[in-house]
Amino acid sequence: MKTDAPISSVTPGLHAVWVDGVTFTYHGADRPALRAVSLVQNAGEMIGVMGASGAGKSTLAKCLNRIVPEFEDGEFSGTITIAGEPLNHLRVCDLAPKVGMVFQDFESQLFSTNVAHEVAFAMEQVGMDRAEMDRRIMPALEAVGLRGFEHRDPMSLSGGEKQRLAIASVLALRPSLIVLDEPTTDLDPEGRAEVFALIARLRAQGLSLIVIEHESEELRAADRIIVLREGEIAANGPPFQVFARTELLTACGVRPPGLGHALELLGIDAQPKSVEQAYDAIVRAYPRVVGTVYENIAKSRVHEEPAPTATPDAIASHAFIGIENVSFSYVGGPRVLDSIDLKVEPGEFVAIVGQNGSGKTTLAKQIVGLLQPAAGRVTIDGKDRAQMRPAETAREVAYVFQNPDHQIFAATVEEEVAFGPRNFGLPDDEIRRRCDEALEAVGLQNERQSDPFLLSKGERQRLAVASVLVLRPRMLILDEPTTGLDHREQLRMMALVRDLNRAGIAIVIITHTPWLVAEYARRVVLLRKGARIFDGGVREFFMQDELLRSSSFRAPEITELSRRFGTLALTTDEFVAWVKGRA
Amino acid sequence: MPIYLYIDRGTFVHRLHPTVKVFALFVMFWSVYWVDNPIALLPVGLVMLWIAQLTDSWPNFYRLRWLFVILVFTTTLAWMVFYRRGAVLVNVPVFHISRLSLVFGLGRGIKLAELLAASVLFLSTTKIEEFTYGLQRMRVPYRVSFAISLSFRLVPLFIDSAVTIVDAQRLRGYDFNQGGPLERVRRYVPVVIPVFMGALRKANNMAMALEARGFGFSHEPTTFVEYPVTVTDIIAFAFLIGLGTMNFMLYWTGLGGIGPLK
Repeated sequence: MKTDAPISSVTPGLHAVWVDGVTFTYHGADRPALRAVSLVQNAGEMIGVMGASGAGKSTLAKCLNRIVPEFEDGEFSGTITIAGEPLNHLRVCDLAPKVGMVFQDFESQLFSTNVAHEVAFAMEQVGMDRAEMDRRIMPALEAVGLRGFEHRDPMSLSGGEKQRLAIASVLALRPSLIVLDEPTTDLDPEGRAEVFALIARLRAQGLSLIVIEHESEELRAADRIIVLREGEIAANGPPFQVFARTELLTACGVRPPGLGHALELLGIDAQPKSVEQAYDAIVRAYPRVVGTVYENIAKSRVHEEPAPTATPDAIASHAFIGIENVSFSYVGGPRVLDSIDLKVEPGEFVAIVGQNGSGKTTLAKQIVGLLQPAAGRVTIDGKDRAQMRPAETAREVAYVFQNPDHQIFAATVEEEVAFGPRNFGLPDDEIRRRCDEALEAVGLQNERQSDPFLLSKGERQRLAVASVLVLRPRMLILDEPTTGLDHREQLRMMALVRDLNRAGIAIVIITHTPWLVAEYARRVVLLRKGARIFDGGVREFFMQDELLRSSSFRAPEITELSRRFGTLALTTDEFVAWVKGRA
Repeated sequence: MPIYLYIDRGTFVHRLHPTVKVFALFVMFWSVYWVDNPIALLPVGLVMLWIAQLTDSWPNFYRLRWLFVILVFTTTLAWMVFYRRGAVLVNVPVFHISRLSLVFGLGRGIKLAELLAASVLFLSTTKIEEFTYGLQRMRVPYRVSFAISLSFRLVPLFIDSAVTIVDAQRLRGYDFNQGGPLERVRRYVPVVIPVFMGALRKANNMAMALEARGFGFSHEPTTFVEYPVTVTDIIAFAFLIGLGTMNFMLYWTGLGGIGPLK
């Protein structure tokens, strides 16, 4: 039975989850975070929950184990029943054996010094005897693919492994429902793949799952998709139905799956689950596109790469950033950068990609002077960076940290932006002028007097950009600028970055997101174990199947689809234009 | 880069019963507390050096080497300003450099360094779970003992976050080293606020995750690992009693003070 049935006609005892008319308003908020939400989940079903930031996804997840309203002040009404038991009288800890909850921040949910202890932790809390714990630990680790890791320190695991460990520790209690709240947001592509492969296995075992996720491609295998908008259910149905409503998804801040969107633009009524299905659908509708002689895209399309956007006179004869044979290790650790050579020209747009631990952030810190090379040297505009203080470097190259909250401290947005120029002793009228310019550039000109801590994550990220932009650097390095942002905020952030690049600022982004590389970057640098193993154009990069596979990096699905036809498109629009041009 | 101090070496010190380890930490603090004389502090110091060698805890001491140096050096200097006893050996403005003030200052510096060393040894050889268990066995309520042991695990995370925040502000041209001592403290406001906000957020996330995993459940928590008491534990316990008694006797007899060196 699906949620289309009137909720009052459904018997709660038959379902994994039964939510009836739940409304919750956070203390001090002017509107409810959830508004009369009702849904039913059958046992063994997997539901994907999507929506923009602030749509109510996490609030809904937290209602399912009583974190809302137990932890969060506010007004709660409605009824929730898990496996037939109403939750109204229960505490969060009482629900641990029934509802397993996995959070986005994996660092905050690991408490022990080795993997086996971590899995045992929840069992210890509910008073399980030692023999039973022993019986359950290995199967739980086996289920998440961490057998053999029992004695490892959780902090020494990769992001994907940490998240799988968090899942193992809730699995050990054998709950009837597992709720995963954006479990892969902070993971690299390999970590994401690991976690979604695990989710697929758990689903096959008949566990009821609720997965909150921003990327629609990852939820195509779900039984149902629920889209939330401003606390209400805007769509609820099988993926092929929900994902076909491109306009609605966009309006709700959800990125429609690239394949489905492409087919829609081609006038094909289908919601493919894979590249193969999309290929077949296009071949049926546009038979003439098949048989196109395979073009060597790397050669033939190079001339179609967008020209450098910086003005020609801005392109200096020497590299703006020169990294010459740089090696680096942290104290007592292995080599993180291994004899790296790299040049970045003025006005370039470079994406640095690679698995977690491949040295991306360390390389960026070498450029801005937060770390000193053990061997080799870094130059900025021909000057040896070792001779420059970080403050001097800041006026040439600005670095935006992954987490904007690592720098925000001022009482107002304007003060936050003015902090940098004040440190350089600029006169007040110059500071004002620069603040206006920077706030205008990031679209926060109307938030001057707002408290930075009350802004959304996307706004705080843009504020972080403004607060370094105000120093008028010639290059901007952004470390994972879209992490934790919904699709609408991601687009806004990247539009800002593209505009800055068009204004002549060189951009280096560190990212794990394939579509972002495809749509915005013009050059890709791939790092592996501290070494540069690819440096070239974006199209050329996505042609390197073996390289992508061995680096656990995936081309966007639309690119994969286009390659089935013998071409290479980086965006949906480009692919659709190519098909129509040959039809 | 490892941010925690525990080093899994499997030595007999690592395998000691958690209660004995918590007791050992207490005895080290107790022993250092009663004596002031640098020579009288030597036995405890030698015991710690021996344990550090046995447990191969040197990487942690190396990581914190500057903290040890600063602790001994600044404490000795500070006491030469405030401890104005004994015949002056050299005339230096503000400082009172006498044999007595030197010995007293050095003794205080070594005391602090030994307290730090005892903590480093404890954290190098004791898992969080053992710490919790040890405290529980000493009748500390579970919630309190878990909170204490968890805080040890959180401190490195906060330090890590503070380092990132310092980097972020330096890249906006901020100079933490401007002005006198008070001004320098004040200049850390742009670090303290983000660290504090981050700590609150992390603490909140952690509290939610803990309860979601059953922390506070109606049953008394059980323990996954069994810690049997062995002969080694009894010998170690007796040795610690001896060490604590010896240091108290040093105080009692006056040998632990700075008097004999007058």
